[in-house]
Amino acid sequence: MLARLNSPSLKMPLSPQSTNPESTGSRVMADDGSGDQTRGSKLRGLPESRPLVELRKLAKHYGSITAVHALDLEIGRGEFLAILGPSGCGKTTLLRMISGFANPSAGTIRIAGEDVTRRGPHNRPTNMVFQGYGLFPHMTVAQNVAYGLRIAKRPRTEIVRRVDEAMALVHLESFRDRSVTQLSGGQAQRVALARALIMRPEVLLLDEPLAALDLKLRKAMQEELRSIHARTGGTFVFVTHDQEEAMGLATRICVMESGRVIQDGPPEAIYSFPRSRFVSTFIGEANIFAGQRSKSMVSLEIGPCFEDHGPDEDVVCVVRPEKMIIADAVDDASSLGCDAHLAGTLEDAVFLGPYVKYVVRLGDEGRVLVDSRDIELRHRVAVGGAVIVGWYLGDQRVFSDQ
Amino acid sequence: MRKSNLNRRLFLIAPSVMIFTILFLIPISYFFVLSFWQVHAYRLQAGFTLDQYMKVFSDYLAPLGYTFMIAMTIALVTTTVAFTYAYFCRFKAGSLGTAFLFVALVTLFGGYLTKIYMWKIILGSNGVLNSAFEWLGIVTDPITVFLFSPFAVVITLTHYTLPFAILPIYGSLRGISDLPIEAARDIGATPQRVFFDIILPQARVGLISAFSVTFLFAAGDYVTPLLVGGPQTSMIGLFIQSQFGHRLNQPLGSAMSFTVIGMCVVTIVFMAMLIWRATRSAK
Repeated sequence: MLARLNSPSLKMPLSPQSTNPESTGSRVMADDGSGDQTRGSKLRGLPESRPLVELRKLAKHYGSITAVHALDLEIGRGEFLAILGPSGCGKTTLLRMISGFANPSAGTIRIAGEDVTRRGPHNRPTNMVFQGYGLFPHMTVAQNVAYGLRIAKRPRTEIVRRVDEAMALVHLESFRDRSVTQLSGGQAQRVALARALIMRPEVLLLDEPLAALDLKLRKAMQEELRSIHARTGGTFVFVTHDQEEAMGLATRICVMESGRVIQDGPPEAIYSFPRSRFVSTFIGEANIFAGQRSKSMVSLEIGPCFEDHGPDEDVVCVVRPEKMIIADAVDDASSLGCDAHLAGTLEDAVFLGPYVKYVVRLGDEGRVLVDSRDIELRHRVAVGGAVIVGWYLGDQRVFSDQ
Repeated sequence: MRKSNLNRRLFLIAPSVMIFTILFLIPISYFFVLSFWQVHAYRLQAGFTLDQYMKVFSDYLAPLGYTFMIAMTIALVTTTVAFTYAYFCRFKAGSLGTAFLFVALVTLFGGYLTKIYMWKIILGSNGVLNSAFEWLGIVTDPITVFLFSPFAVVITLTHYTLPFAILPIYGSLRGISDLPIEAARDIGATPQRVFFDIILPQARVGLISAFSVTFLFAAGDYVTPLLVGGPQTSMIGLFIQSQFGHRLNQPLGSAMSFTVIGMCVVTIVFMAMLIWRATRSAK
């Protein structure tokens, strides 16, 4: 990987803005000299502070069904944004509106300062990597990649050079003259990526980019995508239902549920400070305890009480498995050294390398997951043996139970 | 394992191979041999002579050329109309596409002769078209050139062969996924570019099949020209029929048939190459 980063391909800006701030807002590529009229878009220089993509009150209704509720979203230059949510949450509709394949019912889309709301996909400075790739089956790999430049009537020498660059970027140099019908899933994905990147889009849109790949390929492609994002300095927006994918790729995550963005922030913030029960369970694993809040005191059904300000209501308390602590039951509770503790029986222990995932049954109340670095515990306590689990107060998050 | 599999496959294709051999290969070989024979005093004489082919080219070149022109016209018109219709069904009609396709195929229930007579009724002197024109006051005397003209042959055969041309084209259009079309739009292709660069190249096989089927049918047909074509539309099929019929000159009839087959093969190969090249998206 490092060797690749040092290769000459590093210096080729596939994205117009590349790394020099002067060209911000212009799709002209510095080393071209000719001005990139690929889409015939006339772009003015923009104030540095202006976000690259601005969605204002953007909504989509299908008859009486609302796929996307009026939402405001700004995407900055160079961001790698994940739109994350379960299927049917409106994330794909949102992506299709940005790309121009779906007409918004209301609201506006501005990209690089220009209102593109009513423009067709061929007139937007966005390019999409489709989930099913959508390669042209009657063309070779190189013809697929070159197609966009060819219809933009770029000079032949430039097409050849940029195709070479794009092929090098996705490591497909030796596949030029292959028919795309002979490619594996991962290779097809790279062709689709090259075909979109060669257009030097302001925004590269990816629809479930890794969904169709097997696990190993997915990991490799994830790394690849991050590296391409770093090398091109482009702005990438992708849609996924896979929280791990979102965590692994994005610099920022928008979590969507039923047509609304319910949380927006960097991956760490989304993970550590989820703002709702949905977000905390959708992203990462979570132990959930039901309880009531009364006079700023939360009492959980399984026992622990602690102070938490808020209205009197039914609540849920969420604790991440890695925030849970586990100990042998022979230790007395205080040796656990934490505030909330519960007795249970060990149901399973899965060794995962640096840590062990313990599954602990708490009477009839259910199970909790504990990710512990105490690898030896599984030798000291047999499955079915008694254990104590707990967490430090402050490591839990409390949400209204709706 | 391998071997039993092969035997099994051979067994499965045996019926179709037998039918093809008995009903097609043997008769056509017989007539091919016959085309080098002669007839003397109404008796077949075995031998090898190119006399029959010489006669075809000296006496029947005009009907051959005429047949070519008519068949070419019919094939081009039919393929174009069929493509338009199939394109509409696949890309424009939405969920009604299948219904429209069904409508086109339903016309196959009307038999071949039924359609010929239908056009006789429409195009005749007292036909539907003339009555309508007279009623509208466009003409006072019926137009007689509609029927018994090349025009009548073209329209009748176009009507008849249309479903056979729609099917292969629709089949190939159905095979085109929406994704590459969206992808092309996304990287800057206008709808026109998408049509010429993405859709047409993938519809080639359908277009070529449609053209071939229509051309073959039109070139070999002799009933339509007989019934709606009139005296001047002397297509080669009529002459072949008469050689086998009242003239009892089977060698000449066979030679004429193989000349037509040759013309069809050359035309179809040429047109297939032409369509293939014309629908290639620019490199």
